[in-house]
Amino acid sequence: MAQSTAHRRLLQEYKMLTNNPPDGITAGPVSEDDMLHWEALIQGPEGTPFEGGVFAAELKFPKDYPLAPPKMTFLGEVFHPNVYQSGLVCISILHPPGDDPNHYEHASERWSPIQSVEKILISVMSMLAEPNDESPANVEAAKMWRENRPEYERKVRESVRHMLGL
Amino acid sequence: MNNNSISLETFEDVADSTDWLSTPLSGLAAVEAALRCQVCKDFYKTPMLTSCNHTFCSICIRRALSNDGKCPLCRASEQEMKLRSNWSMEEVVVAFTKTRSDVLLFAKTSQDTIAEPGKRKLGDTEDDDSASQRSGKRLRSSTRLSKSRSIEMTSEMARLEADVPHQDSTDFEPDDGLVACPICLQRMKPLQVDRHLDTSCPGEPQPERTPSKPSSRSTSIPNAFSSSSSPKKPPARTFERLPAVNYSMLKEPQLRKKLQEQGISAAGSRQMLEKRHKEWTTIWNANCDSQYPRRKGELLHDLDVWERTVGSRAPTNSRTISLGAQIKDKDFDGAAWAAKHDSSFKDLIANARRNKVLMGRKSSEDEKKGVDRTHGSSKDKGDEPTPQPDSEMIASLDHSEEPQEQVDSVTQATGIIDLTGEIASSNASAGELSDREDGAVDLDASSRTTTI
Ligand SMILES: [Zn+2]
Ligand SMILES: [Zn+2]
Ligand SMILES: [Zn+2]
Repeated sequence: MAQSTAHRRLLQEYKMLTNNPPDGITAGPVSEDDMLHWEALIQGPEGTPFEGGVFAAELKFPKDYPLAPPKMTFLGEVFHPNVYQSGLVCISILHPPGDDPNHYEHASERWSPIQSVEKILISVMSMLAEPNDESPANVEAAKMWRENRPEYERKVRESVRHMLGL
Repeated sequence: MNNNSISLETFEDVADSTDWLSTPLSGLAAVEAALRCQVCKDFYKTPMLTSCNHTFCSICIRRALSNDGKCPLCRASEQEMKLRSNWSMEEVVVAFTKTRSDVLLFAKTSQDTIAEPGKRKLGDTEDDDSASQRSGKRLRSSTRLSKSRSIEMTSEMARLEADVPHQDSTDFEPDDGLVACPICLQRMKPLQVDRHLDTSCPGEPQPERTPSKPSSRSTSIPNAFSSSSSPKKPPARTFERLPAVNYSMLKEPQLRKKLQEQGISAAGSRQMLEKRHKEWTTIWNANCDSQYPRRKGELLHDLDVWERTVGSRAPTNSRTISLGAQIKDKDFDGAAWAAKHDSSFKDLIANARRNKVLMGRKSSEDEKKGVDRTHGSSKDKGDEPTPQPDSEMIASLDHSEEPQEQVDSVTQATGIIDLTGEIASSNASAGELSDREDGAVDLDASSRTTTI
């Protein structure tokens, strides 16, 4: 029966991530019925206000993956310059090259069919550590991060503790 | 065609370079990774070299180039007509995949016998257990796989579909400037091929030309052409690559005519016609690159798969998009995945709590001041996320149509472990939005994020 390119490729990635998971990252399809819908958990990187947190996200893959990138959405509040209030993550690896009107992103950092779920999640981890305030998705967070770093960090740490029920 | 005899690949059937990591031969992971295409992550199938000296499967690089005209690795501009076959790579892949399961089996058994005498169960049981469990599983699946192969995969076509490279590509294409006739394998100057096909091609592989060819080859190739027994004209045009089309120069009736000429559906919107024609061109031309070209009926089947998963007949609801119902196979160990992840969620959470408590003790002092403002309410689910001054601004952006329920705090301590339940409920909202979820909108949606 029909097995799409996207499906095969995602099975392959799932196997890879299962055999050899990167530190602090867990990811896989939500159910065997739908390989185009994954969930992921990312640990907050050490030495950042996100440290200690575990952040759940979902990944929705387009039918023509890996030609086009997935969309990634955090499932809880993540106060961060590059995360919309809806949880949608906005970083260059999730953007296909060619549609960057602002030219702030290097083409080499953008989506290409050789990128992968693993690379996305690692990029998101480093995004948590180092926001890119040239393209804020959350204007308030970007402003606070730029102008009042201690307050930003306090707010993030607070939400991490809240998340953990502490 | 024996598509029906080829079962869907499932999680346990997927071979990956990381399979070596749990064996004493972990260095082979890198070797195997180098034999895999970075686009599909599978072993190279009809590998092609780009002008920037990168290698991909023919179908992978053609699809990528027709999408954006750039090498997926280095993003150098590239044209499909500049691609060249990388036969050496194909030979290496063939040799490696031929011996892979034996070597892997050997690596795993040698590990087991080393581990056996010690039998130290305590202490590092976790690792030992999971390693042997995994290897056991994999052994089982690889025997099953090879058994089914020997039964079902007798034809060249089956080989190609299953990605098990042929054993016998070694005596191909000496570097003499000649090419083999795709039908009879006789070698000749490239310019002679067309004329030969039209006039003198015997219509089937010539044994004296290919002394070591196994039976599979000589039985399958003639099968591929119904006219094989008659020496009259074989479908020479079958092997001509289709030229790239500048769709913007083409009126819709002309485009429909092109599709009809190819014997494929000309139904659907203008956008769908272009997509279909592109995909057909990719499938067709990749087949032209192959040393074992398949007949048109099989290519049409591939297009049909595309039509049902990406094209006009693709399900609009993401729940069923991947035709995942098809992998209902017991081999996808859903329960194990859930269990595994449940425990790793728990580990992550437990660690996080522990660390945070320690950290919190240190830093709670300086944070006390602001608590009221941010999380004055510690009421649970249903809370709106902290109101933010720029919320109006955000709401005016396209992304405001993201289902807001997702903001609901799954990540709260209590919610995190039944994560799957939370996600299942968010599917309902995804379903409601399903009418927007055709490929085009997906692309739009992801591009929208860049305009902010
Ligand atoms: Zn490939
Ligand atoms: Zn390149
Ligand atoms: Zn011939």
